[in-house]
Amino acid sequence: MSTQAAPEPEGFSGVAPETPGDAQRSPLRATRPALQALPRLRRRHRGLVGGIIGLMVTALIAVLAINVHISTTQYRVVELSEQRQQLVQQNEALAQQVQHLESPQVLSDSAVSLGMVMPARSGAFDLQSGAVVGSAEAADSGDRPSSFVAAPTVPGQEGTAPMDVSEEAAAAPSGPLGAAALDALARSSTAPPESGAAGEDDRQVSADRLDGGTVPAPSLD
Amino acid sequence: MTSTTGGTTRRRRHEAMVSWRLRIVLCVCLAVVAVLGLRLFQVQGLDPSGQAQAAVSERLRSQSVPAERGDILDADGDVLATNVQRYDLAVDQTLVDDYRVRDEATGLVTTKSVDEAVGQLAEILDADVETLRERMTGDERYSVVARSVTPEQRRRAMDLGIPGLNAEQVAQRTYPSGSVAGSILGYVGSDGEPLDGLELSQEEVLSGEDGERVFEVGADGVRIPTATLEEIPAVDGSDVQLTVDQDLQWFAQEAIAQKTHQYDAEWGNVTVMDVETGEILAMADSQTVDPSNPGATDELFRRPLALTQDFEPGSTGKAITFAAALEEGVVSPTDSYTVPHEKEFDGQVIHDSMNHSTYDMTAAGIFARSYNTGTVMIGNQMSEQTRYDWMREVGLGGELDVGMPTSATSLLRSPEEWDSRQPFTTQFGQGYTSTVLHNLNQFQTIANDGVHVPPRLISETIGPDGEEQPYDAGESERVFSSETSQEMLKLMEGVVDHGTGGGAEVAGYRVGGKSGTGQAAGEAGGFDGLTTSFVGVAPLDDPQYLVSVTVHRPQGDWKDWTVTDTFHDVMAQVLSTRNVAPTGEESESYDAFVGEEQDRPW
Repeated sequence: MSTQAAPEPEGFSGVAPETPGDAQRSPLRATRPALQALPRLRRRHRGLVGGIIGLMVTALIAVLAINVHISTTQYRVVELSEQRQQLVQQNEALAQQVQHLESPQVLSDSAVSLGMVMPARSGAFDLQSGAVVGSAEAADSGDRPSSFVAAPTVPGQEGTAPMDVSEEAAAAPSGPLGAAALDALARSSTAPPESGAAGEDDRQVSADRLDGGTVPAPSLD
Repeated sequence: MTSTTGGTTRRRRHEAMVSWRLRIVLCVCLAVVAVLGLRLFQVQGLDPSGQAQAAVSERLRSQSVPAERGDILDADGDVLATNVQRYDLAVDQTLVDDYRVRDEATGLVTTKSVDEAVGQLAEILDADVETLRERMTGDERYSVVARSVTPEQRRRAMDLGIPGLNAEQVAQRTYPSGSVAGSILGYVGSDGEPLDGLELSQEEVLSGEDGERVFEVGADGVRIPTATLEEIPAVDGSDVQLTVDQDLQWFAQEAIAQKTHQYDAEWGNVTVMDVETGEILAMADSQTVDPSNPGATDELFRRPLALTQDFEPGSTGKAITFAAALEEGVVSPTDSYTVPHEKEFDGQVIHDSMNHSTYDMTAAGIFARSYNTGTVMIGNQMSEQTRYDWMREVGLGGELDVGMPTSATSLLRSPEEWDSRQPFTTQFGQGYTSTVLHNLNQFQTIANDGVHVPPRLISETIGPDGEEQPYDAGESERVFSSETSQEMLKLMEGVVDHGTGGGAEVAGYRVGGKSGTGQAAGEAGGFDGLTTSFVGVAPLDDPQYLVSVTVHRPQGDWKDWTVTDTFHDVMAQVLSTRNVAPTGEESESYDAFVGEEQDRPW
């Protein structure tokens, strides 16, 4: 505003005091510079105004762009942290499942389901002399581990049906003691994480939280 | 001229008008500046900090950043206790009403009734519909609908969009191995407060320190990205690593549960210890609390019996009498004694559990056959005070602390307070009490070349940055000479070879031990039960592991009881899983009887 206003009083006061003398002596000379000077001044002025407006618009757009960027990034942050949270929970659920399957009771149950029995006396190799120390015995096929210690609770009640290997092993083509049983164990130990993960991996957020948009509203957790 | 004068007047008037307008504008400007200046002065000059404070606190939000509780790990690093994220679902009952939902596929908005929503919620939470309805309807502003809901359940519940339903994240403690080592781990309350076991005693190590996050929010409640953010990071708790091996612990729990079940006993315990390090590898009770549901287990079994139960040990207590006698030089293993089944000492009649004939026996034989009369004959060669001092030396009459909330206590009075019978009974494990841990502590000292190493249950703490801090259990010290220790091992081998410890042999290894049957004092005074036990060590050529089996108040005839089979199973398991190769070395036990004839009736 000040730059625009400045030239006006200057031109005004520059012309006015000279008027009395100039009008008498040479009115032509007095009008000519006035006629030539003003358009030149205005043209420069117009460029300046244009430049200033341009600058302001650019600044405005820049501010707007930055603002929009910040707020979308904000939403991105919310989205990513939610994703992270979900992955953490998924990881936790899987780790819990592993720990559950690693617990001695469940391991023992799985082994029994596969037809395994308690080991008998084992021998050892003396690597220095190459001799066998102690005498190994065949395991008693009826010596199954007792199950006085209750199995740990299945992690949460989160959808993963308790694994029953015996059913799968019995249904396996070559009976409960063949390679098919091992295969069944391998399959059933990998299957629950898949089904369990499917639920949590599914990051489809409900329509309510999207509220018609594509980015979920930030939640409190 | 007139025109000039008129022009001048007009100009003057114009100038005057301009200057008048300028003045007005100037005045207005000055007034505005004055007002702003005054306000500025008020804000900046009079109460600058207060105003700034008010502005910031208007925007400032602080949030606690909870520290994660440390895990409890077994010796191999398997997780015994850890945390998982769970949610508590709470509802503002005043907001619960029929509500409108938008169908995702069709885009149609339909009304959903509360009943329908509760029904769906009950299905997701696997809960009773009626209970849920009760919790969700009413005038309460805050009512908990369900606790410890999994993230998956929470997601599905929140997706129902029930108005007023909120989920709050909570950390829940889980114990992946259930009741394996449950009594050692302890448990936490539903509010996360530690209540027992290591959870309680190691609270300071496990808990860590909560942090705080301070940030500014705009009027819409969204964090201002460029504004200051202060974050005091939470210091997570340290992990506690135990010396217990969960697989062995489970094996021992199964073994003792079976034995206790067999004799319908009140309780039983199997404890395994590493001889050289004093590390407790397993501390198994016949029943163990499941830390995720402590209420389901009888109070007796919520704490490790090896610490909480002190009993009169019986004949396992003869080991300290013999070790002291050997150390004092009053006896050597082959010294001969004439041992009747009943003998009077200072007016007190001491008798054996069996009416055997009078034998000419070696000291080693007395130990192997566990004759009370012979033991008192040997023990009486030392003064009461000497025997008492040696008993104190191996920890009897003192407390043993392994980092649990309770210490193991043993009651042993000083000789001045002994009654007329105690000078003799204390020689064969009666007249004082001892816990399983005290028993093991004695045998550890005897088997470890005479050097006592304090028993330990916690091997180290692991900080959040992975820094390992070994747990300080105390200093080791020499109690007996190396020779005494060697002789004691041979005496213990005799117990297994031809004494009371039959059935404890593990093929391929030299095994030694001592059996004991102590009378258990009843509530009403007097003895009304027995505690039968066996403590053994193997392999004797390089003692590495101690296993103690104790069964309290078994039912039936004491002559039928045997706990050495349980000892055998556990010891065999320990030796084979820990890769101790069998040596097949010959026994070095002493003869029990003087002369050729060794096979004599009991």
